[in-house]
Amino acid sequence: MAPTPREEAFADSLIGRRVPKLDAPDKASGRTRYLHDINVPGQLHAKILRATEVHARIVSIDVEAARRVPGVHAVITAADVPWQRPIGITKDHMPLKADIVRSRRDEIAAVAADTVQAAQEALRLIRVAYEPLPIVTNSAQALGPGAPLLHGEDLRVPGRNGALEVVHKACSDNVSMAYEYGHGDVSQGERESVVVVEDVFWLHYVTHCCMGVSGVIAEFDASGSLLLYSNTQVPFLHKREFAELLGIDPGRIRIIQPPIGGGFGSKLDIYPFEPIAIFLAKITRRPVKLLFTREEEFIASPTRQPVLLKLRSGCDREGRLTFRAVDTIHDNGAYTSWGATTPFVMMQTISSLYRVPHCHYRTRAVYTNNPYAGSFRGYGNLQATFAVEAHMDKLADALGMDALEFRLLNAQDPGESTPQGMHFRSCGFKECLGTAAERSDYAAKRRRNLEHWNDGNPVKRGIGMASMLHVGGGAKMYPSDGCGTIIKLDDFAKVTLITGASEIGQGSETVLALLVCEELGLPIDSVTVVNNDTAITPWDVGVHASRTTFIGGNSAIGAARKAKRKILEIAAPKAGRTPDDLDLRGGHIVLRATGERIQEIGKFLRSLHFSEKAELVMTTYYYEPPSVHLDRNYKGNVSAAYAWATQVAEVEVDTDTGIVRLLKITAAHDVGRVLNRLGIEGQIEGGIVMGQGYALSEDLLVEDGVIRNPNFRDYKLVTAPEIPEMDVSFIETMDGEGPQGAKGVGEAPAICIAAAVANAIYNATGTRIYALPFTPEKVYRALRGSNMPPKWPADAA
Amino acid sequence: MAELRNYAAPRSLAEALQVLASGPATVLAGGTDLMPQSRSARVRFASTLLNIQGVAELRGVRRRDGAVEIGALTTIATLRDDPAVRNGAPVLWQACDHFASDQIRNAATIGGNICNASPAGDTLVPLLVLDASVVLASGGAAGILERRLPLSEFLTGPGRTARRPDELLVEVHIPVPASGWVDRYVKFGTRPALDISTIALAVGGTLLDGRLENARLALGAVAPTAIRAHDAERVLAEGPLDRARIDRVVDAADATIHPISDVRASDWYRRELVHNLLRRMLTDVCPN
Ligand SMILES: Cc1cc2nc3c(=O)[nH]c(=O)nc-3n(C[C@H](O)[C@H](O)[C@H](O)COP(=O)(O)OP(=O)(O)OC[C@H]3O[C@@H](n4cnc5c(N)ncnc54)[C@H](O)[C@@H]3O)c2cc1C
Repeated sequence: MAPTPREEAFADSLIGRRVPKLDAPDKASGRTRYLHDINVPGQLHAKILRATEVHARIVSIDVEAARRVPGVHAVITAADVPWQRPIGITKDHMPLKADIVRSRRDEIAAVAADTVQAAQEALRLIRVAYEPLPIVTNSAQALGPGAPLLHGEDLRVPGRNGALEVVHKACSDNVSMAYEYGHGDVSQGERESVVVVEDVFWLHYVTHCCMGVSGVIAEFDASGSLLLYSNTQVPFLHKREFAELLGIDPGRIRIIQPPIGGGFGSKLDIYPFEPIAIFLAKITRRPVKLLFTREEEFIASPTRQPVLLKLRSGCDREGRLTFRAVDTIHDNGAYTSWGATTPFVMMQTISSLYRVPHCHYRTRAVYTNNPYAGSFRGYGNLQATFAVEAHMDKLADALGMDALEFRLLNAQDPGESTPQGMHFRSCGFKECLGTAAERSDYAAKRRRNLEHWNDGNPVKRGIGMASMLHVGGGAKMYPSDGCGTIIKLDDFAKVTLITGASEIGQGSETVLALLVCEELGLPIDSVTVVNNDTAITPWDVGVHASRTTFIGGNSAIGAARKAKRKILEIAAPKAGRTPDDLDLRGGHIVLRATGERIQEIGKFLRSLHFSEKAELVMTTYYYEPPSVHLDRNYKGNVSAAYAWATQVAEVEVDTDTGIVRLLKITAAHDVGRVLNRLGIEGQIEGGIVMGQGYALSEDLLVEDGVIRNPNFRDYKLVTAPEIPEMDVSFIETMDGEGPQGAKGVGEAPAICIAAAVANAIYNATGTRIYALPFTPEKVYRALRGSNMPPKWPADAA
Repeated sequence: MAELRNYAAPRSLAEALQVLASGPATVLAGGTDLMPQSRSARVRFASTLLNIQGVAELRGVRRRDGAVEIGALTTIATLRDDPAVRNGAPVLWQACDHFASDQIRNAATIGGNICNASPAGDTLVPLLVLDASVVLASGGAAGILERRLPLSEFLTGPGRTARRPDELLVEVHIPVPASGWVDRYVKFGTRPALDISTIALAVGGTLLDGRLENARLALGAVAPTAIRAHDAERVLAEGPLDRARIDRVVDAADATIHPISDVRASDWYRRELVHNLLRRMLTDVCPN
């Protein structure tokens, strides 16, 4: 049967299609101009001198010889910028260190020169004398009595009126931030339990490894306004922060975001190199470009939050979870960045991934002389999920219950509100569990693998499951979690989509263009996306919390619908119809009911423009999600939607060497709805590989505060031959608030892998490993019973 | 790189040797060791940089008089694609197949791998099993002097060789093994590509009635240089390769090695790997 005109009209829907990323041709052909490729006329090159001590008092810094190097325009230390102000989440971090260095990444001096070589030569000539201080590089020890204090004195800087003011209070116990959350009564839960398990887990250091190293170009114009070329993920928040740092009006700061070589959360905070480049630009009155080397990228960019985690969980005879109690010590590192705030996400998984009637959660983020942790895809959720899912297997096994049944019994359902205040308008958790289990033949394989534990073959197979809950509709961490959009249509029905939402490689511009085209009935190549200049784009809170498709998408749809409404309202009377009778499809104004074409959209726009009305179609929209702030007790519906996933890992463990090969991942993700199928597949596959690296190979070795492997030879990213077979299913729950029903998915795929692999290794070998990563020697030691499982420190209460 | 003053890119061996004869020079072949090492300030260039890439006569694989002769500038990629290597020295071929990545294999040379003398150099272990020797040349316009050294004598320590500063490694000489020869190479790294060996093992010999005659066993990354395990070879030669003998071979190998602990592995783990993988390799080469 031939399609009806209506079917034909809707056949061009883009939703769920495989749309190549708009920036792919440029990237694939090497045309993309990254920050690294941009050179501003007259620019100087900056380099930073970092500490050679882990913890020390700076006795003296001699920069005289450095200043004499030909081509050097400025050599600065803290003494040259007495007006500098602290950065970071708690304002405990001065960009240039004046008296004390607290970690090996600490910035002591900086040079701006005509060439990188001259700047490096100058660095070589700077003499720093130190007086070493006692170091503490173990967060448990940092909590202990008599531990050296990292921020034991008030941090004072000159205020606007010149008088000293305290910007960070003395910290007398090394606890940078503390969190406590609870619902129900854990001791009652404990009484109602027939099985209780308690374990301590250690989640290690990894770092983002963005292919594009960090960098910035800072330039002041003649009137003192600042232009930054920056790869920040949060341009509008940083505009304000930089303004505060410099004591100037935020209106005088403009941020241009060149294409980024990877973000993954690493560009969520301001790091010292950015203010330092600005100081140098201010002092030299020249544009200043600062780029990290790869080694510097390893040493001086943030890490994922390392966590020591104690989890106690119980269940009753029927297999219902009774309680969960968690205590964690976060190694904060020397300064406080977003890593210290990962408890916001961790406690959601603890309290609400499964139904838990009684729950207690506590975190202390503790200063040490280690590298400091920032935000990283998953934001604490990989760590929390690792522990929770280990216990789901252990409780089920202890009860003699099927591990999948046990999870299904405790899984959340749509419509539920959890004691922490999250409301699951859409929830495909049980479909995720069922789909992943069925497609991987989980139950049968899990049973069969046990039969091989003692069969003499050194190579074992295992299967393991883990699931996750993550915000999928933004996260209201700031007064607004919104995003603005401006849309203009030109005379030829070409659309310029101006959005606050930043593209950080996740494919946001493609999905936003797709959503706009869906509303306006135009092909994807009719859209130009403008998303990289705070002087042009409307406000957005930034790229984080898997929010861009959801928030930026709803905003783009809002602006597109206004444009559409305007077109239809003007077109309707001419066609003798009401606006509701009409629609935009296939580049035309059509009859909604039949798809019959009335006028080409471009033609309509020209006739509108050049008519007596002389109008253009330009619209704006600001979308604010219906979510709320967490209250003082960390309760509230912080996201407008929640994403779910189950991932099943199949591994092969060679017990002769300890090497674990990841054979297959079967994943089922509740994504609300698939918008760009190619984009979401890429996002899931990339996330799985990132999770694989966290589980199996990536390990930033920090010994006594020093990173031992700041290079890709010894910091092992996953390479192509290790990537497992993947079977990915999308569960489409059509979220009522989501753009076309979609939910955020950016972080989700990386979250469960380590937890699933841990369960798979246990299934293969009967050995449970409580510390990541599962690198061959660690696994081998664990199999031989010769490793030291993580311990909860006696004096950390 | 501050003191680099001269750059020489000769077209012939004689010219290259002339440069070496006239003063200290750093030899540059594929640069895959040299460049990272100079960047991390682990080596300092001499005042002259001698790029030998243009010396065409140092490239290529020849089969002559019962030997495979490999020019020092032959890349790992060429070796991996060369039928003479694949058929005549399969253990070397296996090592080339596990070597780094395509990009590195296209640039890295066998001469560079040998002269870099890393204990973990991947071609060294199979070359020891093949009883390879290296040809060193010196002299210049007035005439070229050559000397030949067994590889085991050429490697003297981590990053150290018996090469004199005026010498260039020009050729690797591999006697073609007798018929009935079997061999195996095992590299253990944490990933299948782009990894420096945590340990490497190779064995070769003539298989006769369940015994490995003229057995040669070599190990990498477990001593200051890649080494032959002579005691273990003697045990191998004494009789059929049964379980008990394999245990004794493993014990003998264990007594020969001196692994270190570094970022890649502990000494204990390296020993464990040698035990388990040697056992597996011997069972595999002589299954019964
Ligand atoms: C990413 C990466 C991965 C790697 N993976 C591996 C691996 O898997 N296995 C492995 O074994 N190695 C590996 N390497 C190390 C390196 O690629 C090899 O050792 C390679 O064979 C060196 O050859 P080259 O031609 O690049 O040597 P170069 O770097 O040019 O030279 C190495 C040294 O040998 C000297 N030299 C070179 N040729 C001669 C000659 N003809 N006569 C005298 N002296 C000479 C040089 O002066 C220098 O000291 C890797 C390196 C990198 C960067």
